[in-house]
Amino acid sequence: METYKGKVRLVIKNYPYKYRDYSHMAAEAGLAAGDQGRYWEMHDLLLKNSPRLDRDSLIRYAKELGLDTRAFTASLDTMKHAAVIERDKKLAVDMDLYNTPTFFINGRKVIGNRSYEYLKKIVDEELKNAKK
Amino acid sequence: MRKNSISVLLPVILVLVSCGVVFAGRLEPFAGVPVQVKNPQTPEKAELGKQLFFDRRLSGDGTMSCATCHMPELAFTDGQDISLSYPTTKNWRNSPTLINVAFQKYLFHDGRAKTLEEQALFPMMSAFEMNKNLDYLEEQLRQVPEYVEVFRKVFRGEITRGRVAMALAAFERTLVSVNSPLDRFLRGDRKALSDEARRGLEVFEGKGRCADCHYGVNLSDDKFHALHVPENQALLNDPRVTATMRFVAKVYHYRDYRNLKEDPGRYLITKKKQDWKAFRTPALRDISRTAPYMHNGVFAALDEVIDFFDNGGGPGNKALKPLGLTADEKKALKTFMEEALAGEEIRITYPAVP
Repeated sequence: METYKGKVRLVIKNYPYKYRDYSHMAAEAGLAAGDQGRYWEMHDLLLKNSPRLDRDSLIRYAKELGLDTRAFTASLDTMKHAAVIERDKKLAVDMDLYNTPTFFINGRKVIGNRSYEYLKKIVDEELKNAKK
Repeated sequence: MRKNSISVLLPVILVLVSCGVVFAGRLEPFAGVPVQVKNPQTPEKAELGKQLFFDRRLSGDGTMSCATCHMPELAFTDGQDISLSYPTTKNWRNSPTLINVAFQKYLFHDGRAKTLEEQALFPMMSAFEMNKNLDYLEEQLRQVPEYVEVFRKVFRGEITRGRVAMALAAFERTLVSVNSPLDRFLRGDRKALSDEARRGLEVFEGKGRCADCHYGVNLSDDKFHALHVPENQALLNDPRVTATMRFVAKVYHYRDYRNLKEDPGRYLITKKKQDWKAFRTPALRDISRTAPYMHNGVFAALDEVIDFFDNGGGPGNKALKPLGLTADEKKALKTFMEEALAGEEIRITYPAVP
């Protein structure tokens, strides 16, 4: 994103895996951290520590990030952002998407973890097309 | 009678002598897909196979179909160094293209299956691929009226795992690379290749020794060679990959599977010493569209593959020797592979999955 400052907009959608015990709570943890302006930091911690994503671990990650853990825990316990998560899941199903991560770069679908170079090539091509 | 025998034998002997020490196989144009006696090809069966190919019911959690790792848009690969895998697991090998898979005598990088019908069930059952219980799959598909009807029409019988595999195989036999510049060139159109691609072909058949193993219609000898391809560093310290590797080794009765640290290749199947780290010679049709390369996807581009062979393969291998190609020769070789081997794009109309 730093390389393409002002040229690329990143939109992220939640798609917790349906057969994982803590995946929905982990999605909530990301959004709850986002309420305190620390979405990406939490996002990185979740990926780094997966599959240790139980409630106590999530609260520990919030502490690591210096978040207001009372507000964070309340979000987890009430699933404050459940409607957003469910909306995102429905969008994925409507679009016939079942794999994470799935990227859409100006409509070009890319499934699975990809290297920076792989994504950069597509972004560069799309930016070139956009200029035409 | 005797005279006739000699006149037939003589050209054969002359051809063998002219090859000398180097055995360079002959490249052949596409002339049709091998016929399957036990699974006759019909358009209806191939269409059913296409539906199944895109059906996520074939995976345990309903998130994966065959097309997940063999995407039509990516020349029936997934474009990854290591193939996509069942959620929460990790694969250990590259997803090979399905283009011209009908020609292969062995399937998988280690050749563990000899027919597409046999092959098709492996990924479905595999814990780190589609993770599907086949008894359950049969019952699940039998609950889909459209499938029940089509299977009855196509096979004159009910849905079985064997027939699922036969239909998938029939679809896969439609994925062929046709009318490439090489095909046209081999049929006599001398203008089908650019000058550089023709120079590349000379390197391919001569100094580059590629045609020692890459020959025939599919540019493969269908054999296994231990080239000692470098390890993919991304895999070495990933416990999920280690679990996958040892799981496969255990399934194939590799005695010391719990200490296994590298991919044994064909050895897992044959237990023959010469097959240690040997992998199937890949077909080369449409090669420019199927990166990354090698069984572990360790080379991102054809240049890296050419350099690997030019350097005589990996340390300690006995199959290859340094080639001493010049920069121009390498460039021509790459041009040949990119231009000459690219067949017409295979266009797939996505089926309506019932």
